[in-house]
Amino acid sequence: MNPHYHVCHECDTLNKISTPNRPGRYKCANCSAKLYTYKPAMNERIYALNLAALFLFILTNYFPFLSFHVAGSVSHANFATSIIYLYRDHEWLLGTAILLTTIVFPLVRILIYIILFGSQFHNYLPRYATHMIKILNKLLPWGMLDVFFLAILVSIVKLVKMGTIIPGTSLWAFILMVFILAWSQSMYDPHQVWEHIGRRRKALQQKEKLATI
Amino acid sequence: MRAIDKNIAACPTCHNLVQMPFGKQKGYALCPRCDSEVYMRKSDAVQKTWALLLASIVFYIPANLLPMMHVITFAGTESDTIMSGVFYFISDKSYLIAFVIFTASIFVPILKILILIYLLISVQKRSCMHRQRRKKLYVLTEIIGRWSMVDVYVVGVMTALVHFAGLTEIKPGIGANFFLLVVILTMFAAMSFDPKLIWDIKECNENREQ
Repeated sequence: MNPHYHVCHECDTLNKISTPNRPGRYKCANCSAKLYTYKPAMNERIYALNLAALFLFILTNYFPFLSFHVAGSVSHANFATSIIYLYRDHEWLLGTAILLTTIVFPLVRILIYIILFGSQFHNYLPRYATHMIKILNKLLPWGMLDVFFLAILVSIVKLVKMGTIIPGTSLWAFILMVFILAWSQSMYDPHQVWEHIGRRRKALQQKEKLATI
Repeated sequence: MRAIDKNIAACPTCHNLVQMPFGKQKGYALCPRCDSEVYMRKSDAVQKTWALLLASIVFYIPANLLPMMHVITFAGTESDTIMSGVFYFISDKSYLIAFVIFTASIFVPILKILILIYLLISVQKRSCMHRQRRKKLYVLTEIIGRWSMVDVYVVGVMTALVHFAGLTEIKPGIGANFFLLVVILTMFAAMSFDPKLIWDIKECNENREQ
């Protein structure tokens, strides 16, 4: 592979990378910001991890999340219960924000990963791959399951003095999902996907040229 | 060697290198690989960041003064602001929780706002000082921004769990809405700032090369 150039997104330095396809982390020469990581077998790993995450996502939203016992009375909560109560109290802004950041965005992200890397695993590129990656780039900072995990720990400690908290099946699935998603995120290297897309685009353009001749 | 000197810009979506057709700061090109609009720098980065930042400062005041949640019992309603929650946990000797809440909902937003103000002013004054450190500060604001959402989520989880009709109920207060807006606005402000501006001042680069 020829050496290629890479512009640092933090300080705009042109970095020359002579061995772009050697596994490892690549850093900017000026400000040592991370340029990209190259990991072999990224497709297969991300595909597998996100299939597992999708399964856990369904479990998380289906089974009871936490139960809270105080002096004889019990309240059960599913994962989405807080959103339902917020909407019932006409807290539209809070309800929508929690709905989007803990359910919609993570689900869209998992589905995009599965479609994108699953179809690459089966040696073809989905039609709207560029659009999917654009959506993914916009969504990534707004999927906040890891923050939600911390919030659950804080609220459990807050409530533990008032009564008994019984974790449900869904809580364990949720914790596992947070770790699996973080793991798959650490492997995500968009450059490999883009190179694939770029090669296919060039091939298509050449085909069109031949057709016009 | 910097990309701006060669009139090259990286596509924000796919990092493809694109030769810019016009001069240094104006116009955009279409990335041949992914059809995104490629600008040399994020457009109007400083103005946009200032606007979002000022809005978030304005919202930060009611977020701290108005109640985050109401605890409704048969004895009456008790309202909690962020600070009163922290003091409650300190008086309760749960220092870890007090620390987490204080860091996530008071320290981090203020830190973020101060860092962004510092970055904006230093870019506008064309300062050459501490450029590596400023870049690190910017990366820090991008990473810690999301974690302020903890307090909003805690309010949500508490409303879901403490829901015994007639006995005890927790309902979110108006302060939670303002706090949510502060978090969202500061995240957008950090995204609209362009760290490349820190390195763009010509005189600094010339001095270093001599």
